[in-house]
Amino acid sequence: MSFLELKNITKRYGPLTAVGDVSLSVEKGEFVSLLGPSGCGKTTTLQMIAGFVEPSAGTIRLDGRDITRAKANSRGLGIVFQSYALFPHMTVFDNVSFGLEMQRVPKGERKPRVEEALSLVHLSPYAKRYPRELSGGQRQRVALARALVIRPPVLLLDEPLSNLDAKLREAMQFELREIQRKVGTTTVMVTHDQAEAFSISDRVVVMEAGRITQIDQPYRIYEHPETEFISRFVGKTNLLPGKVTTATGAGATVSLAGIAVPVEAAGLSVGETVTLCIRPEKLHLTVPTNGLLTGRVADRFFLGSQWLYHIDGPLGTLMVVTPNDGSTPAEQGATVGLEWSPSVVRVHRGAMAEAPDVALEVTG
Amino acid sequence: MTRNGPVALIFHTLVVIFMLAPLAIVCLVAFTPENTLSLPTNGFSLRWFDAVFHHPDFVQSFWNSLWLAVLSATLAVVLAVPASLAITRWEFPGRGFLNALFLSPLIIPHLVLGVAMLRLFAIVGATGSFAWLVAAHIVIVTPYVMRLLIAAISGFDRSVEQAAFSLGASEATVFRRVTLPMILPGVTGGWLIAFINSFDELTMSIFITSPSTVTLPVRMYMYATESIDPMMAAVSALIIGITAVAVLLLDRVYGLDRILVGQH
Repeated sequence: MSFLELKNITKRYGPLTAVGDVSLSVEKGEFVSLLGPSGCGKTTTLQMIAGFVEPSAGTIRLDGRDITRAKANSRGLGIVFQSYALFPHMTVFDNVSFGLEMQRVPKGERKPRVEEALSLVHLSPYAKRYPRELSGGQRQRVALARALVIRPPVLLLDEPLSNLDAKLREAMQFELREIQRKVGTTTVMVTHDQAEAFSISDRVVVMEAGRITQIDQPYRIYEHPETEFISRFVGKTNLLPGKVTTATGAGATVSLAGIAVPVEAAGLSVGETVTLCIRPEKLHLTVPTNGLLTGRVADRFFLGSQWLYHIDGPLGTLMVVTPNDGSTPAEQGATVGLEWSPSVVRVHRGAMAEAPDVALEVTG
Repeated sequence: MTRNGPVALIFHTLVVIFMLAPLAIVCLVAFTPENTLSLPTNGFSLRWFDAVFHHPDFVQSFWNSLWLAVLSATLAVVLAVPASLAITRWEFPGRGFLNALFLSPLIIPHLVLGVAMLRLFAIVGATGSFAWLVAAHIVIVTPYVMRLLIAAISGFDRSVEQAAFSLGASEATVFRRVTLPMILPGVTGGWLIAFINSFDELTMSIFITSPSTVTLPVRMYMYATESIDPMMAAVSALIIGITAVAVLLLDRVYGLDRILVGQH
């Protein structure tokens, strides 16, 4: 039996279903992220676990105990809010101590526990400061210490890093994971940032329009997105509409604007409309005569460790990412060949949805 | 801030003089040693302040006004805190109506309120009652407290309360340890502005005070209709002094800009 279990959780606001039929099992010590665009119901789900929102249907179990209707102040969960929600009129020490006080921990025991929590987040010298005297990253750590000091069975993180600047966010990601490993607290994090979700989670739950669309390890979600939405939402991708021309057991050939492309996918039937999905880093530049197709470098962007190319060709504009290995990059306007291995092509059945650009913008 | 041109500067100076000169002159007149309202030309004297403090009616009225202002401001705050919380945070039937009801004394002329209260007091047999006078003052000062509190509560991050709640605090503890301390500037600011308004109130009080509950402004009004002597100036100077102290405190704890200009 899993440690935290959501079973058919549903939240309706009038005619609107914010969260529909969500089931999720989280093991003890696991770090799970709920990932999705804004309005997908991930925050509502977290708030139902926290006890701030009452589910319309379904049950939530924690360590075998039904907590669906339990009040938030009896659940004993640690929560870090997007705004940090520190008590502005209390010092850092008093902020962290508050939860212990509420649990009637004796005074003598409180001090060492607060100090331990503060040292865990490297804030020991700041105990006497007020939140307004701290930087964003430091406030974030206070919030984390305050949530962890009560030794919660589950730690809930609501977009914990979204208010930090890019550099700090990356550093905090790793630190968050390190701390979570150290204390071993089961953690559920809500985020719209896929890089954040991927880098620190054991498993990622992708949500879309109030429903879970895929639960998997970060690597699996990236490489084997189950829906076209996920492949667009998670990372950059090239989506190519085509038709199946031949199908033989585990393989098939798809015609993309007259170009035959081999794919590895079972169960396709000839004449079927499909959408191929190829990650930009799976495409390789080569000499024009060698590739599966040729194109012209329309644009190239230097990203430091990588080059991002826009290649104009018979299939429209394709994104290609190559590692910056120190060699001379392809010139703008140059004609290049593109090649890839059939095993990296993902096939989604059915026609491509409209406006794929929107999803790309969301992921940034 | 942009610099003012010479014309604007002269205009602003004139406006300030126009507003402050009468107050300054009243305060100066209060120190006159003469028997008539006149600017002190041959020395300063505290005789008229002495006269106020030895005038039993004025002393009585001063204490009446002080108690009245303290009680009505305090009770208005006690009433307005839960009312503002409810109106700001919850959708319930009659919410708009309640909000309008609480704020309506702000737009009803005090003269009208005075007449209405006079009738009400006569009907319930409360004529001359200090408690009912306090109640009437609560009605007129509550809108000021509500405005400040609603502003304070609107800018409140609810997740701070949720955080306290999740750490095991009960609803009462969350209110006492988190909500109240965080809206405290609004509460004290509201109390002070209510105090000032009650302490200065004349129009309505004229109708509903009895000989034993006469407030300081009403006492002054009654006294001034009969005779004008420098004691009036001394009382005025005292009221200006008390109000000024309250306003300075208000600026300290809440910030006048936030009340008058609406900056947060």
